[in-house]
Amino acid sequence: MHPVNEYFQRLTRRHLLGRAATGLGAAALGSLLGAESQTAPHFAPKAKRVIYLFQSGGPSQMELFDYKPRLVDKYKTELPESIRMGQRLTGMSATQSTFPVVPARFQFAQHGQNGAWVSELLPHIAQITDKIAIVKSMFTEAINHDPAVTFLQTGSQIAGRPSIGSWMVYGLGAEAKNLPGFVVMISPGQGGSGQPLYDRLWGSGFLPTRYQGVKFRSVGDPVLYLRDPEGFSREDRRAYLDTLGELNQAKAAELGDPEIATRIAQYEMAFQMQSSVPELVDLSKEPAAVVDSYGPDARKAGTFAYNCLMARRLAERGVRFIQLYHRDWDHHGGLQDGLPKRCKETDQPAAALVRDLEQRGMLDDTLVLWGGEFGRTVYCQGRLTEKDYGRDHHPRCFTMWMAGGGVKPGLILGETDDYSYNITADPVHVHDLQATIMHLMGVDHTRLTYRFAGRYFRLTDVHGNVAKKLLA
Amino acid sequence: MNRFLLAVLGAGVLLAQPVEFNRDIRPILSDRCFACHGPDAGNRKSLLRLDSELEAKKDLRNGRFGVVPGDPAKSGIYQRVTSANNALRMPPQYAGHAALPARDIDVLKRWIEQGAPWQAHWSFVAPNRPVSHNSVDGFVRARLEREGLKQNAPARPETLLRRVYLDLTGLPPTPAEVDSFLRDPASYENVVDKLLASDAHAERMALRWLDAARYADTNGYQSDGVRDMWRWRDWVIDAFRANMPFDKFTVEQIAGDLLPNATLQQKIATGFHRNHRTNAEGGIVEEEFRVEYVADRVETTSTVWLGLTMGCTRCHDHKYDPLRQRDFYSMFAFYNNVPERGLVYNFGNDEPMIKAPTPTMATRLAALDASLDDTKKTWADWAPKLAVEQKKWEKKARKAKTDWAVPQGLVYSNLSTELKFEGKNGFDAGDKAKFNYMTPYSFSVWIKPESGTGAILSRMEDYWEGSGYGLYLKNGNVHFVATLRYTDISMRLETTEKVRLGQWQHIAFTYDGNRKTKGIRIWIDGKPANIKSTFDELTYPFSPKVPFMIGSGGGLRFHGAIRDVRVYDRALTEEEALSTFVTEPLAAVAAMPDAKRSEPQKAKLHLAFLDLAMNAKARAALAARDKAQAERDKYYATIPTVMVMQEGPKRQAYILKRGAYDAHGEPVEAATPAFLPPMKPDWPKNRLGLAYWLVDRANPLTARVQVNRTWQLFFGQGLVKTVEDFGSQGEWPVHLDLLDWLAVEFMDRGWDQRALEKLIVMSDTYRQSSAAPPDSWQRDPENRLFARGPRVRLAAPFVRDQALAASGLLVNKIGGPSVKPYQPAGLWQELSGGGGYKEDTGEGLYRRSLYTYWKRTVAPPMMVNFDAPTREGCIVRETRTNTPLQALNLMNDVAFLEAARKIGERMMREGGPDAASRVAFGWRLVLARAPKSVEKVSLLRVYDRFLARFKHDLASSEAYLKQGESPRDPSLDPAELAAASSVASLILNLDEAVTKD
Repeated sequence: MHPVNEYFQRLTRRHLLGRAATGLGAAALGSLLGAESQTAPHFAPKAKRVIYLFQSGGPSQMELFDYKPRLVDKYKTELPESIRMGQRLTGMSATQSTFPVVPARFQFAQHGQNGAWVSELLPHIAQITDKIAIVKSMFTEAINHDPAVTFLQTGSQIAGRPSIGSWMVYGLGAEAKNLPGFVVMISPGQGGSGQPLYDRLWGSGFLPTRYQGVKFRSVGDPVLYLRDPEGFSREDRRAYLDTLGELNQAKAAELGDPEIATRIAQYEMAFQMQSSVPELVDLSKEPAAVVDSYGPDARKAGTFAYNCLMARRLAERGVRFIQLYHRDWDHHGGLQDGLPKRCKETDQPAAALVRDLEQRGMLDDTLVLWGGEFGRTVYCQGRLTEKDYGRDHHPRCFTMWMAGGGVKPGLILGETDDYSYNITADPVHVHDLQATIMHLMGVDHTRLTYRFAGRYFRLTDVHGNVAKKLLA
Repeated sequence: MNRFLLAVLGAGVLLAQPVEFNRDIRPILSDRCFACHGPDAGNRKSLLRLDSELEAKKDLRNGRFGVVPGDPAKSGIYQRVTSANNALRMPPQYAGHAALPARDIDVLKRWIEQGAPWQAHWSFVAPNRPVSHNSVDGFVRARLEREGLKQNAPARPETLLRRVYLDLTGLPPTPAEVDSFLRDPASYENVVDKLLASDAHAERMALRWLDAARYADTNGYQSDGVRDMWRWRDWVIDAFRANMPFDKFTVEQIAGDLLPNATLQQKIATGFHRNHRTNAEGGIVEEEFRVEYVADRVETTSTVWLGLTMGCTRCHDHKYDPLRQRDFYSMFAFYNNVPERGLVYNFGNDEPMIKAPTPTMATRLAALDASLDDTKKTWADWAPKLAVEQKKWEKKARKAKTDWAVPQGLVYSNLSTELKFEGKNGFDAGDKAKFNYMTPYSFSVWIKPESGTGAILSRMEDYWEGSGYGLYLKNGNVHFVATLRYTDISMRLETTEKVRLGQWQHIAFTYDGNRKTKGIRIWIDGKPANIKSTFDELTYPFSPKVPFMIGSGGGLRFHGAIRDVRVYDRALTEEEALSTFVTEPLAAVAAMPDAKRSEPQKAKLHLAFLDLAMNAKARAALAARDKAQAERDKYYATIPTVMVMQEGPKRQAYILKRGAYDAHGEPVEAATPAFLPPMKPDWPKNRLGLAYWLVDRANPLTARVQVNRTWQLFFGQGLVKTVEDFGSQGEWPVHLDLLDWLAVEFMDRGWDQRALEKLIVMSDTYRQSSAAPPDSWQRDPENRLFARGPRVRLAAPFVRDQALAASGLLVNKIGGPSVKPYQPAGLWQELSGGGGYKEDTGEGLYRRSLYTYWKRTVAPPMMVNFDAPTREGCIVRETRTNTPLQALNLMNDVAFLEAARKIGERMMREGGPDAASRVAFGWRLVLARAPKSVEKVSLLRVYDRFLARFKHDLASSEAYLKQGESPRDPSLDPAELAAASSVASLILNLDEAVTKD
């Protein structure tokens, strides 16, 4: 980078981006840096924001979208080596003595004009198949949760890189006036277990920490330390901040350090968040019909339904990257009982979110994604009985769906073989997905870089191609 | 950076000086050319290489040259960067690269005109003592003069005192310390010496080292289980307390275990390279993660000591520096022989590890060992007497009416003469023998199998890969399984001996509760069986949900008969286990002539004698030994362990293609990077040799890197800002001569860390005022030239430590297990479920932040908010941001509200009679200086406002004062205290409070 640019960027990062939270930083940065700027967009974006409904644990593709009727005849037969082709398995099933094929034990039907096959477990998604694009040919490189989720979120299996949301806010700046640019919400599956999640999944890695995702919590205050202490009123806080500002101002005049001005601004931003966040979670003005459309759980904080509704409200307020995590899709065993429950928790809210955005005219510039970190194996893991079966992790194919934000509605992309084991058409690698998300946001994934430890890093490392077929 | 300064500080400087390769040219080539014309052979786009003088100036083909000294027009690089033809222009437009700016082109041209003199990269040549100056200030002033600038006036004494306290200890001075200094500002050097020698200084220095060492209290992957590395952490504190020279500090941490007659402390030191994250997620490929750990050690070593980004070379040759992929895996080979596993235990330390008693613990243990030895001896002394007694007793015992069997710990027995099994139903013994993976237990059972395969005893789900434990026969061998998930979280073994069909045989089984197959022993008919461990990864607890079954379990069924089942909730001793094989009644054994008795019979008789007939004194002696043993064992179990480095059998290292763990390329042997001075021939080719090499004077990097990192502690950034990268992509130091001078000085003074720090804080450069007119900030926003004193926001831990210290809450206690101060409820559960964070009460709430429990996947939120490294990997660069979350944190976190309340109490008790003196006192507690009159006016105004409001609303005062666990001084008026506390909170939130001025 040109040294003068580097200077301005550094100056900017410390002294201007401090105000980016008020929407000023990105623009200022862009104009200061000129053509070689790290800031995007690089071209006209289709999507202004992303809502990523991450299904943590790895939902089974062949019980939900990847319909494989011929598996019924293969029940309990051994997975052929011609299909497995020496594929590495997790330590959990690598020493399993047999690999019996088990077909989905749920009914499928075709829906919409595109005739998409959707499982009976997803009746609401089934009604919006013409609005979404179903990608059956996602694949990843990791076979275990931690590396796989980290890979999807940061482009690397080993933790330490910035998450996709951090990259987006770093590149595009914040739009929201008084909310963070990158918000994360988590809902546990009602099974109560599930894979752990980590702050680093929305961490900023080596990017400045101001780009990290802010987790809105379901217990206590949505934002840590948001609430003033008991006995301390808003008027008290105002008086406190006025004096604090006065004293800081005097210090700034004495010392000349521009960092002090930034701190004054951040305290004001904090004060604003103390009202904007409670306003965000206050559903009293939300029409009952809208809330109800997200399903019976929508009023219960901490559920996926509630979080979907919050996601829409965050999107309305200009939050750039909204990430929901729903846990407990890891059905090594107990799939027959557990999967329908996860579907029940997520099907209606996810469909309602797409419809709600559409009705508000926001779907066009909001990209919605749904999917997990990998798929599941066609063979049974653990005990296979009439009432129960399980599936191990499967990196070679899994299904995601996307909606809005420049994605071709009604598209069904990709095919897998009869065992839902290998992709036979239109593979989409994790890095391709990342490149595509960035492309829809107006960002060239090869050009959004950050210099750290002697080299330029990017989300997609040195890989990734935009999945052009997905674009509207 | 340097070029930027020139740009900002005046282009005239540049024109006045000759072009210098390292300063002016190398950054351009490195940044814009090396990726394709540099060290990475795999990525080189043409014959031209610009990372080597020889290559750049050689005849490429047909008289074409990259660089022709003195002649830009004939120099390929100049032609290409200035080409108007986009197809030819470099860097290539077709690859999306922008053209070089005119300034860079101009510098290139003039450099070629001046003869294109080359220089080796500055950091790859050992530093020589510069002769131009002999003090920090000498170098800094000379540079400022060149730029037409002057050093600032000295900082006010109280500002300087707070600065040096915070820098050297992370804690503010007390008002008394400030007063004493104000009376005698000339005592500065004494103050510095006192601070350098303080324990607080050792803690402060340890903190940054923990960041570099990626120290934490959990494993870091997936469910992020606990580990215990605090003994290593305390070693670091001790090392700084003793001012251990940095070379020794290095050698002991890299290879303390390999030093001759390594002490316990030297072994603990090697925990440095076991601090990396480890994975306990079931299902991972072990080798993939083992390789990851070794690679982490290479990358951390290269960052911490060499300032090199070796991580780049894990997959390919370095694109900018003369590091090859081979160098990475040669370094890898040093760390490849640790007898460790990729899949680790999730509830504590994993091998290799050692017991690491503190000195106090060692003393106590030695005392317990001594008293155990005493009791053992007393007991042993009884042996001859008891032998005589036993002989006598045996005569009586011939008439014994009742039999005897080991009674201690018997939790279940089924003494049926014969339970018959026909391969159908087992015998349901109910909710008995509920053992888990870490509980010891033993079985004794007689079997008469008709088939070589079947279940003997189990609490195991009824299918082969179920969860629980089971003692089986499989193809005639005795087989044992204890498992949560059969395929990867289980312990499995079998005997090589087979049982005979159709005959009664006895099986004794003992397990010591240490979740390893080596803790299991089996005897068949009183003879120890040979055990083959087939799987040894029982890393998680299991909880058998099914009843204790005889003759079934795990999908297997017994064919034949079983009798005399005994279950113990402890591991029987060998003598006891043998005795269980004896079917003859006690009387019969006693009646046998001694020579005819088998070993098991002897065991039974002896044990029965001890249990039934030994004299009271001997019994007391035995009980005393058992008690001493139990006490010793109990205490020993509480002694912490620490994971350490060890050398196991050599594992061959390979170049891993694309860095993939399973893509072995050429084999490589342990070696240091080829472009740096080699290891001396008499050093061992192992970690110890590597450690010697790191701190050898010929090594051009280590001293510079450590000096630079030390500089960063005081000025917020290094003389080379890229503290982690001294390669050609790193920053060219603003003050190379100063850096080199400090590095040489450091080594000449025997790598004396405190002396180095003193050199810096005694300088006028450090002692300047940080107040400067706006043009100073504009000209040099980051203070790279040091025309003013450092002004840097406090690191996260010190923001909290300062509040604790000012409030009087701080508990000064060094070392020990990590503590759990206040944290908003639910953070852990939300991410990973489970029991969650259990806050300490009492002193654990008020220890220095260095001791705060660090769960990697959910790092302490206040630390994260204030930019602490997350401890995922090695981080040496300090970063600082300024966010609204920090504001909320400081205003509303109970830790800071409680501190404010305690400061409020101090204001009222110690601050004088009136509001004005009280607010001034609170101010001084945090900021060291007295408030100016305008500041006092603001403070008083807001204090009066709060007072009026709290007086009016006593309920609010009471509520507001409820923050935190520490008791409130009941003698103080609640409204006044609430007002004072509010002002104290405000003071803690001042920019000046979180900043060192």
